[in-house]
Amino acid sequence: MDVFTLSLWLLRIGFVVLIYLFLFMVARAMWHDLRAGVAGAGRPLGRLAVIAAQEGRPAPGTSLPLDAVNSIGRDVNNAIVIDDSFVSAEHAMLTFRGRAWYVEDRGSTNGTWLNGQRVEGLVPLGYGDELQIGQVRLRLERSRQE
Amino acid sequence: MTSSSPSTSSNVRPWTGAARALYSVGIRPRFRWQELGLLVVSAAALATGWASLQSFRNELLELGEAGLLATYLVIVFVIHVAFVITGRRMDQVLFPTAALLAGISLLLMQRLPQDLVSQEIAGQQLSLGPLQLVWIAAGFVILSATAIFVRSDGWLRRYKYTWAAAGIGLLLLVFMFGEVTGGARLTLRIGPLAGQPSELLKVILVVFLAGYLAENRAMLSASSTRVGPLNLPPIPYLLPMLAMWGIALAIVIVQRDLGAALLYFLVFLALLYVATRRASYVVLGLLLFVGGGAVLYGMFPHVQDRIDIWIDPFADPQGAGYQIIRAMYAYGRGGILGTGLGAGLPQVGVIPSIPAIHTDFVFAALAEEMGMLGALGILGLYALIAQRGFRIAASAADDFRALLATGLTLVIVIQAAIICGGNLRVVPLTGITLPMISYGGSSMLVNGAVIGLLLALSDRGVEPPPPGTKPNVVRRLGRRARGLGGRVEEALS
Repeated sequence: MDVFTLSLWLLRIGFVVLIYLFLFMVARAMWHDLRAGVAGAGRPLGRLAVIAAQEGRPAPGTSLPLDAVNSIGRDVNNAIVIDDSFVSAEHAMLTFRGRAWYVEDRGSTNGTWLNGQRVEGLVPLGYGDELQIGQVRLRLERSRQE
Repeated sequence: MTSSSPSTSSNVRPWTGAARALYSVGIRPRFRWQELGLLVVSAAALATGWASLQSFRNELLELGEAGLLATYLVIVFVIHVAFVITGRRMDQVLFPTAALLAGISLLLMQRLPQDLVSQEIAGQQLSLGPLQLVWIAAGFVILSATAIFVRSDGWLRRYKYTWAAAGIGLLLLVFMFGEVTGGARLTLRIGPLAGQPSELLKVILVVFLAGYLAENRAMLSASSTRVGPLNLPPIPYLLPMLAMWGIALAIVIVQRDLGAALLYFLVFLALLYVATRRASYVVLGLLLFVGGGAVLYGMFPHVQDRIDIWIDPFADPQGAGYQIIRAMYAYGRGGILGTGLGAGLPQVGVIPSIPAIHTDFVFAALAEEMGMLGALGILGLYALIAQRGFRIAASAADDFRALLATGLTLVIVIQAAIICGGNLRVVPLTGITLPMISYGGSSMLVNGAVIGLLLALSDRGVEPPPPGTKPNVVRRLGRRARGLGGRVEEALS
């Protein structure tokens, strides 16, 4: 086998090998990514981003991490305390059941509103939906993956 | 992934005058080391492939005329620099993957007989290789422009019915004025411009479905109707499914475009399942599919032909089965390691051994010259696109974006699966392009836009618009466009 044929063969194989090197580099990065993901498994299920609050509490721009069951109200015993004069002591309940979020009003005086409609009974909601509780507007978002 | 690791997301310190000037106009450059690394590997792979092709042709170890490849690599790295300068925090794997696929496309088109296609652009008569470079360049311009400038998805989200109407209108135009190529009515010609709207339609369809499903997700996943063993949602919410099925059938009947119909229907079913997690939809959809397929098989000879060729190509080896039989011989010649670029495909004069080798049968050509390992590597690249796309969908901030990213990914991946499966005789062959590799302007432009949109969706700097507010882009488009879109939207919803 002469030098030319051999180097042509090497070039040929090299082309395919480099494509596999590309795949390998990404696969390795994915693996690290996956490990980091497992390490971050304890992160919250989602978050409520505060869009607007008439009385400035909680401050707009902050985000409240969510567990599977979140009681919302003015009373300090709630998981999410919203100190707004139009919020009842026990106002609403936001729960994660199976793979979907649900919101429920707990007999509040001024009601719980989802995308501008009053919540009656147990209502499903998705990421990006807007809740109004008292004078506070909140948006349900996925927790950030860092 | 590493976009979140400290080395890549760290800002450039403003220690030079240029950087300071950029800072002053609000631009924060951000290095993308992973993307750069992957691009260097792709460039090395393409250069090796080019050297292998030229050396084989000239029987001399050399790089040969590398003008096309050099131009292509310059375009790719310019786009990388643009991403760095604008400081986008986008996915760093998608672009190098697309660049590698398009580069392989360029290599292959340079290798195939140049007079397969010839077109005049700006006074110059271009043949297959240079022409494909023009399409790739145009596709990459759209890719980078979409990735950099799309800062809000409101214009897609708000006007979903308008988009759907535009898509249907496009389809009707093709029904009425389309030209017939290869037995299918696909090409629409407006003046000197010709394109295949079915490529564009797939993106419009995904935008509409993502908007519709994100809005009606809760209703669609609730069940109230029982049909036999299946729990179905309220009947009115099933209508879009039936409409979709009708559109797919209409495409097959009128346009004779089996590939597009199959793609639309599969993407639709997959998205519906992703949005609702209900297997009953998939079962129902597949039943509809089988039923529709059986009726079409009985009614239309071209559908019959496709199935018959798939089951037994040797029944008519010189006629209908010719293409697929030549492809099977090509896999045999290629073997595991392949014949090497340039060494495969014995030609009869200038006629390639497989008809439509530069469009429908690129996978067969690659499998012959790069072997089974090379072909698997290329499938691996599509798998990468799938993984990145679904990852972008999984970390999207809301349902619309998640469904949009899923749909855009599915469009590329399912299309690749349909045509590769067809080439390999795993599924009946339908004429459709292999995304980012097949020759063709429409295909390159649209797939560029799809990858660009995925990149834009992966940018953590792009926040979803708060519900109820008008997005900026629309505001800038002016009152007139808004009024028109609004009226169409009202009339349709």
